[in-house]
Amino acid sequence: MQWTNDQPIYQQVRDHVVSLIIDNVLKSGDPIPSVRTMAVEGGVNPLTVSKAYQELVDLNIVEKRRGLGMFITDGAKKELLKLEKSKFLHNEWPNTLKRAESLGIDLRELLSKK
Amino acid sequence: MNTEVVIKANNISKKYDDSYALDGIDIEVSKGQIMGLIGPNGAGKSTFLQSVLGLLKTEGNLEVLGLDPRKDRHKLLKEVCSITDVAVLPKWMTVAQLLRYMEGVHPSFDINKCISILSRTNIKLPSKIKVLSRGMVVQLHLSLVMAINAKVLILDEPTLGLDLVYRKDFYSQLIEDYYEGNKTILISTHQVEEIEGVLSDAVFMNQGRIVMKDSIESINKKYLELRPDQKYLDDAKSLKPLHQRTELGRSVLLFENVEKEKLEAFGEVRPPVIANLFMAIMETTKQGDLK
Repeated sequence: MQWTNDQPIYQQVRDHVVSLIIDNVLKSGDPIPSVRTMAVEGGVNPLTVSKAYQELVDLNIVEKRRGLGMFITDGAKKELLKLEKSKFLHNEWPNTLKRAESLGIDLRELLSKK
Repeated sequence: MNTEVVIKANNISKKYDDSYALDGIDIEVSKGQIMGLIGPNGAGKSTFLQSVLGLLKTEGNLEVLGLDPRKDRHKLLKEVCSITDVAVLPKWMTVAQLLRYMEGVHPSFDINKCISILSRTNIKLPSKIKVLSRGMVVQLHLSLVMAINAKVLILDEPTLGLDLVYRKDFYSQLIEDYYEGNKTILISTHQVEEIEGVLSDAVFMNQGRIVMKDSIESINKKYLELRPDQKYLDDAKSLKPLHQRTELGRSVLLFENVEKEKLEAFGEVRPPVIANLFMAIMETTKQGDLK
């Protein structure tokens, strides 16, 4: 696992699990990598991993099953798509739009280019 | 949260001739912390680590696992394990002999674990230590230390002279051990970017003093770096950045306790990497000294 400098590592750990779900690598009912595996393979403090996982629990993306680990909830993907969609609309799209404007790209021109 | 204090240092000083190598250091390390000592050459990192191990006489109050390392070094060495940058192993022994020797003298040494760690390297048990390369000697030393079931690990530049692959391997092994053994680790290194993700706490040192100490979590909350769009540069500056530098022609402003949303209006916002934060803190404290 390679971490980048543009985000705190716990966010990158969280986003990594999210991408596994969005890309269908992991499905509802599947276990996510244990804190230990994630920490050892990623070279990350286990507390950092726990913190990232706790956020996923708070978002109802994963659930703790006592003694077994963390599992992906039934509605996880639907929930994530909703979140990611809103992230795109509120964060990424305005930036893309700004960038297109600064480059003088016409929106219709953009849409015709699939 | 378990807050059992493992290392307690109050006003630790060490004077050589006229200059202080350590000038009133206060550090508390709690069980389960992985604390990184970060600082330039001559900051006092090694001196402090050596005093924790009882290898140096210092002034001030020092307790490690409730013992004074200056008086109870022998008792302490059962629970504390260390790697220093001047690792020396007996050249005339073979690796196998050294392992058996360790098993004989150290009550918490696990020879099977050591063999299993060594099996991941190119080091062969029948080899004499004198034929091993410098990097391999470091690997061997690390393997010995990792096979000791200690409560506290003191690592002084542990990966000096190791290649990238083995360095990664070493930190994985370290975290695995840490996870299983509920250990406390104190580590110093110049390669900050390598241990950044591993640390729970960071201590910045310079010229025998502590410049800053904080948990990584709190550092991530407090400090943000802004790369402002050129047109917003003056607006961004009016928010009173702690420090300012240029990176390949672009301004990078470091802010303390300014909301992310406020900064995002002016450009790209990221958390600073520890190395950059360290440079910034060092420069601002220098300015402070001049005032």
